[in-house]
Amino acid sequence: MRKIVLIIPLILLTTVCLFFLLFILFEKDPNNPPSALLNKKLPVFSSTSLYNNKESLDSDSLKDKYTLINFFASWCAPCRAEHHLFFEIKKEKPELFILGFSHKDDPNDSKKYLEEKGDPYSFVGIDQDGKIAFEFGVFGLPETFIINSDGQIIFKHIGQLTKEIIDNEITNLF
Amino acid sequence: MISLIGFFSLCLSTIFSFVLLMPSSILYMKIKYFLFIFRSSTILVCISFLSLILAYVTSDFSNFNVFQNSHSDKPLIYKITGAWGNHEGSILFWICMISIYGFLYSLISKSINDFKIIVLKIQSALFLIFALFVIFTSNPFLVNSVLVKEGLGLNPILQDPALAIHPPVLYLGYVGFSLVFSIAIASLLRDNLDQEWIRETRKWSMISWGFLTAGIALGSFWAYYELGWGGWWFWDPVENISLMPWIAGLALVHSLLMIRGEQVIEKWIVFLSILCFSLSILGTFLVRSGILTSVHSFASDASRGLFILLIFFLTTGFGFLVFLIKSPSKKNDLNLLLINKTSALLINNILMMIAVLTILLGTIYPIIIEVLTNTRISVGGPYFNSTVLPILLPGFLLMSIAPALSWQTNKIKKFKIYVISFLVLSCIVALHSYFTNFNSWGFIGLILSTWIIIASIISIVLRYKFSPTMQYIKSINSFIAHIGVGVMIIGITFSSIYQKEYNFNIAVGEEVTVDNQVLKLEKIQIIEEKNYQSLKANFSLEKKDRIISYIEPGKNYYPVSKMITTEAGIYHDWFKDIYITLGNENNNIWFIRVYINPLVSFIWFGFFIMIFSSVITVIKK
Repeated sequence: MRKIVLIIPLILLTTVCLFFLLFILFEKDPNNPPSALLNKKLPVFSSTSLYNNKESLDSDSLKDKYTLINFFASWCAPCRAEHHLFFEIKKEKPELFILGFSHKDDPNDSKKYLEEKGDPYSFVGIDQDGKIAFEFGVFGLPETFIINSDGQIIFKHIGQLTKEIIDNEITNLF
Repeated sequence: MISLIGFFSLCLSTIFSFVLLMPSSILYMKIKYFLFIFRSSTILVCISFLSLILAYVTSDFSNFNVFQNSHSDKPLIYKITGAWGNHEGSILFWICMISIYGFLYSLISKSINDFKIIVLKIQSALFLIFALFVIFTSNPFLVNSVLVKEGLGLNPILQDPALAIHPPVLYLGYVGFSLVFSIAIASLLRDNLDQEWIRETRKWSMISWGFLTAGIALGSFWAYYELGWGGWWFWDPVENISLMPWIAGLALVHSLLMIRGEQVIEKWIVFLSILCFSLSILGTFLVRSGILTSVHSFASDASRGLFILLIFFLTTGFGFLVFLIKSPSKKNDLNLLLINKTSALLINNILMMIAVLTILLGTIYPIIIEVLTNTRISVGGPYFNSTVLPILLPGFLLMSIAPALSWQTNKIKKFKIYVISFLVLSCIVALHSYFTNFNSWGFIGLILSTWIIIASIISIVLRYKFSPTMQYIKSINSFIAHIGVGVMIIGITFSSIYQKEYNFNIAVGEEVTVDNQVLKLEKIQIIEEKNYQSLKANFSLEKKDRIISYIEPGKNYYPVSKMITTEAGIYHDWFKDIYITLGNENNNIWFIRVYINPLVSFIWFGFFIMIFSSVITVIKK
């Protein structure tokens, strides 16, 4: 009888831990909090081009086509690592509009970065003060969104893209 | 470079603790060398933490952690506190504390060497586990692979002096229980001990409990000033998590009092010691794994969660397993009478345990439900208020007279005085409630709190002649602590039950009347501070056509992290706080919310008395 009382804490502990374990395993990866914007309309924005400050692009002009939006910066290491993947996406889906935002970065540094690594983007917009990223609820760099032809956000990924993510999650979206 | 030194000394310190854990059959060490290695390990981990602070102070953005959490524009004090304002840094601080507690123990303890070594070995084992956690999942010394000029800033809501010291103080409390845990386990592993370990447990649990109290008080204080919700306790999961070890610690501290009555329930003390530290780790686990969402959530990571869950399971499981196998078998003949001190302490312990279980259930219930039914529910204030408070009430009633009870007999000295004063007091409180607006919780709270205070004062007056020596203060210390609780209950009762809330829409130059006092919005101004922009509304508070004070609620905008925080504007006096938060603006008309919080200062004063009392207990005679 005495021993049984002493076992109770152990049993309780195991049960509680089991529930915690199940909870952690069931949850989606908390690294990727589902965006509040997912399946919502694209936020309204307007941005000037990195190369030509007279040329600009606003959210209305993205209608009727699929768009991939990628926030990057020259100072961001994972951005460098994922950069080459955009060339692959471009090769596979030539009709996809790839929009890059140079986020909180010196425009000259961004230009240098794109010269060095190549420029896969259909348009590179400047988001030096981070306002556009704020509208998108950007969590950290790099961050990638895909917008469908109705202007809805259908995919979001925080952090570096990988070949697997592109093959498994992106290419079958459209 | 700094990061390298930090990481290197952290690793070295980890290796040292690994060496300490070698069984003596493999590596025999003299006590002198054992202590030397243990202390070197402590010094190394301190160097490691200091180098992290140095990296923050010098804004060394080549350190990834500094880059993510600091900014060169930040004031120096917040650069320093930035070191523990994030997950990695705070866990490093945590292990630093584990080691320092062991270090202090090795210096102070008067136990026999064998026992000391076992305690320090367990402490090193705890250190080792957490250090591995830091090195593998939460390394604050990662190098930033790209050269950057500027950091990403600290969460602006954390840029507040009360909050800068709240986490370290709270950790000192949490981690202090690691030493209590080690002592308890060591006492199980070694038979035939004298009672020195109980005295040591008493000292260290009191220190930890004192820090925990101070930490919780600072946290509430911050919530009251910074969050702008008008209250100071919200039954937020993380608050509950700190409350559980606090109550368990309270039970432990009280059980240890029985050493004076020479009736020690060793088994119970050991159980509580294990429980306190388990609850502390549980708290860490729940906060760091991101399972619970609250204002305290750190950026979370599933692998970290699993790792801490494993640590929690192993440590607690090990503790309870040793407890199961080697539990002390000494028969205790407790002198239980109807109302003597022993039975009062026992009832108080039972009540506290029920309270801990109730809070634990409420806190983890959403998790259990989500696993079982996949729906998310939230358990909040109403549950805790209606379950925990009634459990605590009999405890409060008992607490008012318990210190006056005797160990050996059923008698209370000068029983009549207590009865008469209780009756008189009840009449006064009943009259007061009758003439103000009656509220049953208000009545109960008021009568309990005043009774606790008055009974304690009567006991002090009856039992001792006044002499201002340390000896004397120590002898009435338990009454002082209880007066603190009484004062706090008055504050809690009034500030929660008699709180008034008003909402206004007000333009500059307009006046509103609140509780016979006139609030006038004088002006709205924007001030540029070093690292934020501050919008301040200036209210003048007039009573009988005389300006008593100015109140300045506001909002701060932090450009670096693009966050807006609310700063409540508060006017204090001893009896009430006028608490204003600034809402949104529409056509130059501002929405404001005004709370009248009576007697909030009593809560902080009550906390202060309790902390004072725990300091007195720890100080040597």
